[in-house]
Amino acid sequence: MTRRAARHLLGMLIAAVGLVAGLPAPAAAAPSGEVTIGLAAEPNTFDPHLTVGRNTQIFIVNVYDGLTARDAKGNLVPALATSWKRLNPTTWQFTLRKGVKFHNGDDFNADSVKFTLDRAIDPETKATIISELSTITRTEIVDPYTVNVITKSPDFLLPVRLGELFGLMLSPKHTKAAGKQTIATKPNGTGPFKLVAWTKNERMVLEANEQYWRGAPKVKRIVVRPILEDAARIAALQAGEVDMIAPVPHVRIADLKRNEKLVIKTIPAPRIFHVTIDVRKPPFDNVKVRQALNYAVDVNAILKSLYFGYGTRLATVVDKGALGYDPGVQPYPYDPKKARALLAEAGFPNGFETEFDSFTGSIADHSKPAEAIVGYLEKVGLKIKQNVFEFSAFGPRRVQNRTAPLFIYSIGNAYLEPSWVIRWLTQGGLGMHYKNARLDQMLTRIEATDDPQKRAPLYSEVQKLIKDEAPFIFLFQADAVFGMSTRIDYSPRPDETQWLYPLGLKG
Amino acid sequence: MRGYIAARLATAVLVVLGVSVVSFCLTFLTGDPAEIMLPQGATAEQIARFRAAWGFDDPLPVQYWRFLSRAAHGDFGVSLRHGEASLPLIAARLPATLQLTVTAMLLAIVLAVPLGVLAATHRGGPIDMLAMGVALLGQSVPNFWLAIMMILLFAVSWGLLPTSGRGGPAHVVMPAVAIAINLMALLTRLVRTTMIEVLAEDYVRTGRSKGLREIMVLTRHALPNALIPLVTVVGLQFGYILGGAVVIETVFTWPGVGLFTIQAILNRDYPVVQASVFVLATGVVLINLIVDLLYVWLDPRIRLG
Repeated sequence: MTRRAARHLLGMLIAAVGLVAGLPAPAAAAPSGEVTIGLAAEPNTFDPHLTVGRNTQIFIVNVYDGLTARDAKGNLVPALATSWKRLNPTTWQFTLRKGVKFHNGDDFNADSVKFTLDRAIDPETKATIISELSTITRTEIVDPYTVNVITKSPDFLLPVRLGELFGLMLSPKHTKAAGKQTIATKPNGTGPFKLVAWTKNERMVLEANEQYWRGAPKVKRIVVRPILEDAARIAALQAGEVDMIAPVPHVRIADLKRNEKLVIKTIPAPRIFHVTIDVRKPPFDNVKVRQALNYAVDVNAILKSLYFGYGTRLATVVDKGALGYDPGVQPYPYDPKKARALLAEAGFPNGFETEFDSFTGSIADHSKPAEAIVGYLEKVGLKIKQNVFEFSAFGPRRVQNRTAPLFIYSIGNAYLEPSWVIRWLTQGGLGMHYKNARLDQMLTRIEATDDPQKRAPLYSEVQKLIKDEAPFIFLFQADAVFGMSTRIDYSPRPDETQWLYPLGLKG
Repeated sequence: MRGYIAARLATAVLVVLGVSVVSFCLTFLTGDPAEIMLPQGATAEQIARFRAAWGFDDPLPVQYWRFLSRAAHGDFGVSLRHGEASLPLIAARLPATLQLTVTAMLLAIVLAVPLGVLAATHRGGPIDMLAMGVALLGQSVPNFWLAIMMILLFAVSWGLLPTSGRGGPAHVVMPAVAIAINLMALLTRLVRTTMIEVLAEDYVRTGRSKGLREIMVLTRHALPNALIPLVTVVGLQFGYILGGAVVIETVFTWPGVGLFTIQAILNRDYPVVQASVFVLATGVVLINLIVDLLYVWLDPRIRLG
């Protein structure tokens, strides 16, 4: 054996021992360099309990940590909690990470968790995220690094809720001293970046937290500029003023891809487009009619023409990035002949009259796909009165259950958990009235399974049932699109979170 | 004069009050913010509970009374998005908007006056044709389209100017030009017309016959009188300029009142929308008042009875 090979073997041995012993990786280089990002919207606040809209929730995780987090693939992983388990149906126990400090030096411990969750569910706080934490009744401190969170009813999603979505942790001492107004703009988290400056509508400056418990981030400073207008945002990237932008309109992808100085990265966003069918109203109570509607719409053509192919056709309401997504459950093919035959079997050889609601002015474009869908439905003999509302006028109609028998909508599956989406879609309110006892049983069984790996396969049956029952016209999820300069190294995450910790500079 | 000012002030107050009533009612026609403020997973019941907590479910007159009694003390409530008092949020953005609109106005005047005068003095000739062509173009070009074209040309292709945002003097150029262009066109035509009228007046002929140099006739005698209507028109156009600023601030992400208001409307942030409408309406009314008074002072032919 040559000396070099011996050295190599010794190195490998040491590395293996290191892995087994769980030694930390060698310290990375100190953070360096500056990156500027142009986003369509900036956070409304850094108070994690008063966040409004996904745009805020997907960004402020850069300053705070939750008890859990997601890895690059979207799996749930430890963060401020190192482990968690259900003690009984309504009690989750979290074991906390030791030695973590807030940006101002305060210690993170069980007090922080209790204070944060108490504040979130206190009616005085008027938390906007209360709807996502409504199962929590109280938090009990077991010891400085162990807490029990007690829920009203069994809540298998609690570890996800208390992650990056709605479990960002505050420092009790700082929050009490600084007050509500202050943490909105001067947050103090444990996260990878500190917010050092923020002039609303102009720029925000994040600085690396060199003491971060995961290890320091690679980039020292990140400047975030809100650039509302699509054309101006793209221009800023083309002119080299910013290194990364999100979102990029699908219509511009091809043109930007031709630019050698730019890289375009796309990833399916967890927003599930669908048409809700009011199954209570004949003829939609007939499953053949609902299946016919699914055969009638050429979703692939819609994806091609409206999204330039940057989207994923969905067989059901389970999105591609969700736990237990089953690619084996195939979408309804486009088959207008079959659609007409099914309508004839159901007693409507000449179609029937109905109404279809869509709206403008929400987070994503729903009115263009709606127009196309209505066109396809009319091709198989339906006569449709189409109503287009302004989004804010459509909201109250949903709340009061005054929607048309068919309406387009989309739901963001921030939990990446099919059960969460399906429960929402079958809540019996907001214009959604499909109920199915067998489906409920399946979901209840799934929700009693704490281990995600064991849960995932159980979702296959659910997807088959939903596809056959067709309580919706199943549509698609569009891609999230990021434009970046070649000098940065970044991969977007499947859950929409704009997690900047792994962001690096090339060369 | 004093009586005139008092009467004008009284109507100004009434106008501002009227505008705030209209803005209050309009914001309520757009639906309520509960659904937008809560995460998407909220159920109908949770939305209802949230609405009650914020008082969005009170009858409209009750909500209006609450709004009015607060507004009387200059309190427009706390922004639903930012968690801070609305009026100071708007006030903090006024300087940016004023910087943009005043620059745009000055730019329009500085370009329009010489162009209008040249067109008037060379009436019917090629210079006149060119000036009127420029004016026609300036009046018919949509300002947001012009803004995006300028970004593509000056920022992306030639890298001469920043694409958007606010910073040094270079940042002001494109948004100011985009706002100024329509006003500039209007003023050019106005200056040309009044100048043609004034040049036909007796005192101009007298000046010329006394052997004054043409430049003196133009700048000393004709122009000051030709510019009086300009003051009125600029004042009356102030509302339109603010309207233009709303659009252009949005295109360039210029951090002024316009951009902030557009975002507040999109987010149903009522307190901010109402505060902003109040501030903008007050601004327009005030400017109009000042213009009227200036006019009285500038034009001795107007006598107040």
